[in-house]
Amino acid sequence: MSNILDIRNLTIELETSAGVVKVLDKLSLQLAEGEIHTLVGESGSGKSLLAKAIMGFINPRWKITADRLWWRHYDLLALNPVQRRLVTGRDMAMIFQNPGSYLDPNTKVGEQLRETIPQSELKGIYLRRKATRTVRAERLLHRVGIKDTAKVMNSYPQQLSEGIAQKVSIAMAIAHNPKLLIADEPTTAMEPNTRNQIYRLLAKLSASQGMSILMITQDLTAIIPETQRMSLVYCGQLMETGPTEKLMSEPFHPYTDAMLKMSFFNQDVAPKTRLPTLTGAIPTLQHMPIGCRLGPRCPNARRACIHQPRLSKVKQHQFACHFPLIEIVHHD
Amino acid sequence: MTDLLEVRNLSKYYSFKNGWLRPTRVCALEPINFSVKRGETIAIMGETGSGKSTLAKLIAGAEVPTSGEIYLNGELLDPNNYQQRCREIRMIFQDSFGSLNPQLTIGKQLLEPLRFNTAWTPAERQEHVYVTLQKVGLLPDHFDFYPHMLSSGQQQRVCIARAIILEPQIIVADEAFASLDPSIRAQIINLILDLQEDMGISFIFASHSPEIVRHLADKILIMHRGKMIEFDSTQALLTNPKEQLTKILLQSEQLNKALKHTTTQE
Ligand SMILES: Nc1ncnc2c1ncn2[C@@H]1O[C@H](COP(=O)(O)OP(=O)(O)OP(=O)(O)O)[C@@H](O)[C@H]1O
Ligand SMILES: Nc1ncnc2c1ncn2[C@@H]1O[C@H](COP(=O)(O)OP(=O)(O)OP(=O)(O)O)[C@@H](O)[C@H]1O
Ligand code: SF4
Ligand SMILES: [Mg+2]
Ligand SMILES: [Mg+2]
Repeated sequence: MSNILDIRNLTIELETSAGVVKVLDKLSLQLAEGEIHTLVGESGSGKSLLAKAIMGFINPRWKITADRLWWRHYDLLALNPVQRRLVTGRDMAMIFQNPGSYLDPNTKVGEQLRETIPQSELKGIYLRRKATRTVRAERLLHRVGIKDTAKVMNSYPQQLSEGIAQKVSIAMAIAHNPKLLIADEPTTAMEPNTRNQIYRLLAKLSASQGMSILMITQDLTAIIPETQRMSLVYCGQLMETGPTEKLMSEPFHPYTDAMLKMSFFNQDVAPKTRLPTLTGAIPTLQHMPIGCRLGPRCPNARRACIHQPRLSKVKQHQFACHFPLIEIVHHD
Repeated sequence: MTDLLEVRNLSKYYSFKNGWLRPTRVCALEPINFSVKRGETIAIMGETGSGKSTLAKLIAGAEVPTSGEIYLNGELLDPNNYQQRCREIRMIFQDSFGSLNPQLTIGKQLLEPLRFNTAWTPAERQEHVYVTLQKVGLLPDHFDFYPHMLSSGQQQRVCIARAIILEPQIIVADEAFASLDPSIRAQIINLILDLQEDMGISFIFASHSPEIVRHLADKILIMHRGKMIEFDSTQALLTNPKEQLTKILLQSEQLNKALKHTTTQE
């Protein structure tokens, strides 16, 4: 299976008042055409920054290095800003976390949505094109499950409820049939039923049009069922990646294991009892532990963990850990 | 026991300008009545756009109601006087970034309510901010951060810190758990339970998660198109829901998945 997106050892360094810090540390990720990949990690682990780096929405002061950052046959880091924007605009789309703050507050939703309909789909004279745009915009809203299209199109973003704003930004993202969709926590404001509707829509787009999707989430209980692969990141480092089922049923990495144990509410737990948590807090970037960044919070940590573990591959899992939760047969 | 909070005929209409037509009025919340006891936890559930945020904002005084009154400890709250209730009723907004001041460091934003509402020395205030940051899973280092330097989940935690820092009587939280990772979410749930046990805080929260609602709520209020369609104890709604919607909203898909997970692990 050829990878349409190929990221190898991507590192992002930010300059802060306390010096240069690595937000992403040698992160690798591959995505095949039409594949859905879920990226999971605690808050502050660098998921949104990775998404922005792929899209090219980056601050010029950030230092981005990688052994490979390829999209189809483009070496994204070698493109100049104009070419980069062209490729992103044509092939990719992103659903931002907190869509409310990314929609233009001074323009009505309908207007913003109409503008995302690609020129190439429109024919005829000005008035005809305008009418087509409106029809297309309405159809998009229907697809994401908005019934009262007239009211929504006539609203300003701040007049929409959070869930409707998320739906609108999903509609805008799929308007030009992107080849790659990055969805950063796209359904946090939706109740399970509505969320499943959106998941069905995205899965359909991926299957019928070969759209590759990178889903970003913290909630292991609510991942899209169609996701073939899953990656877990912690503090900008890749912990484990592999087929979703394998990771869920038999995690090799202590972090994957801890996330699974915490995510699923034990149904026997009586209401109002205290819940288990991973001890400690995610460190600030200025104070990253050396070696494996999970070290201070990891139940399995030992001396060797002050060296960053390399990615190993066992039974379709790839993981970075000196002491995984399996017996590894050493061949050397 | 007397009620801590009483809501009477509270409603909210928004008017829309629709081109040259007369403005149309949209009902976000039809007149609603309910009350909340001290230390009680109420969950607000409903589909997207059903009026959960509107209700939460009205209670916290972040929006002015079209009609109705709110009583705190039997005393009528003035809808236009935000200061009066901001000490006793604190809100955590759904859009956390939008509710933070981008120009101020996290520390300064947390010091502000303490300056206006306590008689503490600057050193005491500073110390209290550090302690509160720790409670929500942040670090003293975050004191000097600006909001844009934090991830969404971290911003959400700053908002939670701002809500609990004055130890109010009521905390109103609008989807405060949605952007938290499981570890921090558990930490915040534990924190709220502790606050309730220690100080009898009442907690009103909007949430989509049946698991969290079951775990925390004493009563559940179901909204549908701006109307309260059901309001009863969690136990009653779980065992004997009158509305189909209630059943759907409270249904946990997680149960099946969790079972699958634990069985395959063996
Ligand atoms: N402009 C910035 N300056 C300094 N630090 C930053 C900046 N932007 C982000 N960070 C830091 O980078 C880290 C990663 O942030 P990011 O937003 O990618 O996290 P995330 O994984 O998306 O978390 P969440 O799930 O909460 O959205 C955070 O610790 C954050 O504090
Ligand atoms: N400022 C406003 N102007 C006009 N209409 C508004 C405004 N704020 C909210 N509304 C409308 O009021 C209704 C209820 O919105 P509300 O935000 O309370 O929903 P919600 O239940 O919180 O939904 P969600 O789960 O998506 O956050 C929606 O139809 C919304 O469009
Ligand atoms: S390398 Fe060490 S610290 Fe890191 S996850 Fe493995 S055991 Fe834990
Ligand atoms: Mg993020
Ligand atoms: Mg809301």
